[in-house]
Amino acid sequence: MSDIAVAAPAPSRLRRGAVRVLKAVAPFAVLALAWQTASLFFPPILFPSLGDIAKNILAILTTWDMLSQGLITFARMLFAVMLSLVIGVPIGLAMGLWRGADDFLRPIIKFIMGVPALNWVIIVVIWFSNVELRIAFVLVMLCVPVTVFCVYDGVRSIDRKLTDMVLSFGASRAQYIRLLLWPFVKSFAFTATKLNIGNAVRTVIVAELVGAPFGIGRELDLAKNVFDMAMVLAWTLIMVAVAIMMTHGVEALERFVLRWRGDHHDRA
Amino acid sequence: MTAQSPVKIRIEKAKKSFIQKSGGAVEAIRELTFDVADNEYVAIVGPTGAGKSVLFDCLLGLKSLDSGRITIDGEPVEKFIRKKGRIARIFQEDRLLPWLTATDNVALGLQIQGVPEAERRERAREWLRAVGLGPFTEALPSEMSGGMRQRTNIARAFATGPEIILLDEAFSALDEITAMRLRSDFRALARRQKMTFLIVTHAIDEAIYLGTRILVFGAPARLVHEVAVPEGASENQAEVDRIRAEIRHWISVSGRDASTAA
Repeated sequence: MSDIAVAAPAPSRLRRGAVRVLKAVAPFAVLALAWQTASLFFPPILFPSLGDIAKNILAILTTWDMLSQGLITFARMLFAVMLSLVIGVPIGLAMGLWRGADDFLRPIIKFIMGVPALNWVIIVVIWFSNVELRIAFVLVMLCVPVTVFCVYDGVRSIDRKLTDMVLSFGASRAQYIRLLLWPFVKSFAFTATKLNIGNAVRTVIVAELVGAPFGIGRELDLAKNVFDMAMVLAWTLIMVAVAIMMTHGVEALERFVLRWRGDHHDRA
Repeated sequence: MTAQSPVKIRIEKAKKSFIQKSGGAVEAIRELTFDVADNEYVAIVGPTGAGKSVLFDCLLGLKSLDSGRITIDGEPVEKFIRKKGRIARIFQEDRLLPWLTATDNVALGLQIQGVPEAERRERAREWLRAVGLGPFTEALPSEMSGGMRQRTNIARAFATGPEIILLDEAFSALDEITAMRLRSDFRALARRQKMTFLIVTHAIDEAIYLGTRILVFGAPARLVHEVAVPEGASENQAEVDRIRAEIRHWISVSGRDASTAA
């Protein structure tokens, strides 16, 4: 038996790309087919046809009144994710750097993390009359702990040898943070941002349903009242698309800011 | 060789211990006393765990002694290092910041000193050229070989214009051919810059090549023996063999002492 194996020619780049796209699309295609089949046997209130859902998506995207509701929700999410970075990064840094800060703040952050989103919604409805404040508060309360713990983990995982190197040049505390800590922790802040986009998408609708007269939550509430399942699904698909686009945007920014890391997918 | 040279570093009855989590104390430095003259090249050899790196931490002010004192140019080390960049350290691993280019890594010490950006980048590029990395000034550490990264590490140490360089097993992680070239380049640069350096190494031949005096340490760090290395000794095989045998003898003696003490 020969030990020599004839190597198969490497598939072309185009073919590999096509296979990748096919793999990504196939599960959704199967799901869509199953849904469309179900729509033939069940009333539209349960399984509207794909055509009806597409018509509603088109209506949302081409009608300013509806599109503006989506943009309001998107802006709320974006603001909350950014604000949670502004609040969470310094807290995470402080907890990672100073044991006293960690001891004091950790129980508070854990407590906040343990409060369910719906409870926050009810609390803010009682606390605040301003709608935007209500929604921002709920989202920030859910996003900040994620940022804090991601940044904290970043600080704690920094290579002690790099710290020694920077300190051996006589770096002050501020220089240490600026030259070593922050560049190192940036990747953890990006991870927190990506996690928080998911958090914000899941939570913003709940907050809007209960506490806001504008936004996708309000539109979903209206659709629910008239049993318009096609509209509910249209908004749902738009929300998912927005979340995916936001995550891709953050990933693109991450690749640019952390370009020194190269493309990790090439390593395999 | 250093009879007329003023004392640069004086270490007197230095002691340092660490408390373990279990509560016990580990002695790192025991009654250590020695001088290093200005422009002298001192190599320190000794067993692993002889507190050599702890001694370097103390010289950089990163750790303080339990008792005894370290003076540089006659002033306490804490005062000497207040002006940044007077002592530089070259580590065993390159310890380059992966997000910075070679130029920015070399300029790091200068940035900490507060040197303006244009000036520090120019000086960094000069030092990269001096260590043979002229064409790689904008390369990231991930794009460089181990030898290139260690050259960048050396350039970073020289760039701050230090009076003293501490080499912490700086060539031990490299293959022998690269290490040989880097030792030679380092020696040439150190002579040109007229500086004092201390090198901790496990390689006796490296100590003979780079040092003008070799200190044999026991564990915990204490001076067991010292050997003067005459000028040109590293080119004389008989002389190298003699010094090597002498150092090996004293390392084995210090090892027996340690095991007896244990």
